[in-house]
Amino acid sequence: MDAGILTQQLLNGLTIGAMYALIALGYTMVYGIIELINFAHGDVFMVGSFVTLWLLSTIGVQNTVNDPVALVGLLILMFAFSMVVMGLVGVLIERFAYRPLRRAPRLAPLITAIGVSFILQNIIQVLYGTAYFNVPQVIDPLAGFSFKLPSFAIGGFAVTSSLVTVTWVHVFIVVLAVAMMVALQVFVRRTNLGRAMRSTAIDREAAQLMGVDINTTIALTFFIGSALAGAAGVAWTLNYGLTKFDNGFQAGLKSFTAAVLGGIGNTTGAAIGGFLIAFIEVFSSQLGYSRWSEAIVFTILILVLVFKPTGILGQQVAERA
Amino acid sequence: MKPRPIALLAVVAIVASACSSAASTPSPAGNTPAPGSSATPAPAGNTTVTLGVDLPLSGAETPNGQPTLNGVQLAVAENPVPGYTIKVVAKDDALNGVHDPQTGATNIGQFVNDSSVFGVVGPFNSNVAQAEIPVSNAAGLLQCSPANTNPGLTKGAAALQLRSTHPDQIAYVRVATTDDIQGQAGADIAYNVVGARTAYIVDDTETYGKGLADQFETTFKALGGTVVGHDGVGKSGQSDFTALLTAAKAKNPQFVYFGGVTATGGGLLRKQMAQLGMANIPFGGGDGISDGSAATANSFLNVAGPAGDPSTYMTVAAVSLIPDKAKFDADYKAKYGSEAGAYSASGYACTQILLQALKAVGPDRAKVRAYVTGQTPAPTFNTVLGNITFDANGDTSQHIISDYKFDPTTKDWAFFEQKDFTSGVTTTAPPAAAAPSAS
Repeated sequence: MDAGILTQQLLNGLTIGAMYALIALGYTMVYGIIELINFAHGDVFMVGSFVTLWLLSTIGVQNTVNDPVALVGLLILMFAFSMVVMGLVGVLIERFAYRPLRRAPRLAPLITAIGVSFILQNIIQVLYGTAYFNVPQVIDPLAGFSFKLPSFAIGGFAVTSSLVTVTWVHVFIVVLAVAMMVALQVFVRRTNLGRAMRSTAIDREAAQLMGVDINTTIALTFFIGSALAGAAGVAWTLNYGLTKFDNGFQAGLKSFTAAVLGGIGNTTGAAIGGFLIAFIEVFSSQLGYSRWSEAIVFTILILVLVFKPTGILGQQVAERA
Repeated sequence: MKPRPIALLAVVAIVASACSSAASTPSPAGNTPAPGSSATPAPAGNTTVTLGVDLPLSGAETPNGQPTLNGVQLAVAENPVPGYTIKVVAKDDALNGVHDPQTGATNIGQFVNDSSVFGVVGPFNSNVAQAEIPVSNAAGLLQCSPANTNPGLTKGAAALQLRSTHPDQIAYVRVATTDDIQGQAGADIAYNVVGARTAYIVDDTETYGKGLADQFETTFKALGGTVVGHDGVGKSGQSDFTALLTAAKAKNPQFVYFGGVTATGGGLLRKQMAQLGMANIPFGGGDGISDGSAATANSFLNVAGPAGDPSTYMTVAAVSLIPDKAKFDADYKAKYGSEAGAYSASGYACTQILLQALKAVGPDRAKVRAYVTGQTPAPTFNTVLGNITFDANGDTSQHIISDYKFDPTTKDWAFFEQKDFTSGVTTTAPPAAAAPSAS
């Protein structure tokens, strides 16, 4: 057995899962508060990567940035810019596409969400075209370190280890995603705005009677969810250095699945679902079934939903948001 | 004063009858000679005929289609056919930046309905050809592909299915040799040039990619090598190959072969190999990753970035050492200001074949098709690629593959040898002056 390869696969899964989880949070937060499956969310993530492309080309960054101070400054700028812009885009979408339909039958906002998804894709198509775009990878994608785990044998069962390679960009993405998820939990559980979000999710009318401004609270939920998708968009460009107008579909579908798998409406569940789907994908590749990875992911989703329709963690009604 | 309706009607009637009598005047340019005119069928003056072109011309596919289209236009400019003005109408078969079979079939349908089209150059991608061949076969409109390499398009039961309307009337020919030859060439590079004895194969599960990868596997095993794994990219738009590559790394392959195109992940695959510490493993692919230098946006080398390592190889089902290479390259550069693409000369050759048919039998589609594929013995076409004869399936008599390697100084593919698989393997190195080692 090769412990090095397994460790490498775990690290691969962590990186992919971090991005799925960041996007899945937006799906689950919106569903938690207005019970809408926001199909445009994957495209918000995609637009976030294009916003980053625009920012980098405007300030003239074309290559890897090697000076650590400049790099940290640039990363803060990239994330702040993409998160704020996408947060505002999310608020606008809610204001003009979903709020007028808040009391309409459930199907109407769902179809609207699909429409918004197409609108976002077409805007990028008009502005940039249909090609892949190279986004400068400001963190050197090859920089990192490698290590070997100790080899040992237990009762004739030999465990070897090949070289495990870790790149800084992968470390950065995982640390960043975990930090954002922790910050979100703290925000939702410990602040007044977070309490307003939770109470709106449980009972909109009662919350309103208690003095919660429903419109502001829902807008805030969209802002946070879309900002996280914007952050995932930046992370995507840091990792792959490529983006395309229909990237949001694939990533969005996976992340939506992650949210459902974890228990839609449950933020912890979304994070767990994201990592779980990534690990399923990675290990189906390890077994030589990369081409089946999607089928395996969805088979597991169906099985989970058959036996536990609310997902792995279920919708923790009292705490959803 | 207001014009009276009756008077107006009369004016309209007069004008209309004048028009219709003008229109009914026999025009000599039509198919039937005007009564009383001389019996020579040669059209008086120039007849405008249309040469259809179907290639992927937008998005990530631009580096594939555009240089090929340039080759077509160069051929039309350099090979005038007396009595005809040739109009080139190019249609794009890329949808959302990726070649699309349905779009290709629609394009061919439009050419079929346009009676001025006497022949079509294209398509570029094998799965597009799968959708187009039934349409062109039913209509008897001759298509010449400069780049399709999938064997099933012309040979075997799959091909008979494609041309089921007129199985004995071939309306599709190609000047590129097939993937069964290209896959052999890839395996030959891995085994003989690199010296690898173990290989890991990845394909993109498309018609082209899987066919190529399967042939590589067969030949590599026949040569004595071991295939330690063969996996596929399961979905379009996949960006992360780290898991697949880590699984490959566990098998310690001496060579990684990719059957597919840049748009389905070739460039990212090579780049992520470097991220996983696998940059030193030689990598090879077919003509699907032949799309320009690292400076060309969206090309394989551009996406692979700094990881487009010296040990990256690529085969092209095209003739690089064409008989009159210096002249072709100079003409191309003079007209377009850039170097010719891997399939520019092939586009040129397809055009020459169609123009030769036009010159011999005129623009009638049935005659053009019969001239190129319906004669016994088959005619030999003198093209920029050399002399070409098509066999009973429409495949070229040239079984030639060009081998390229990444050159880190120019950041571009460098041609290093050409192999002829017609009878055994004959390797030809380029003249010393053209070798990349020249300072």
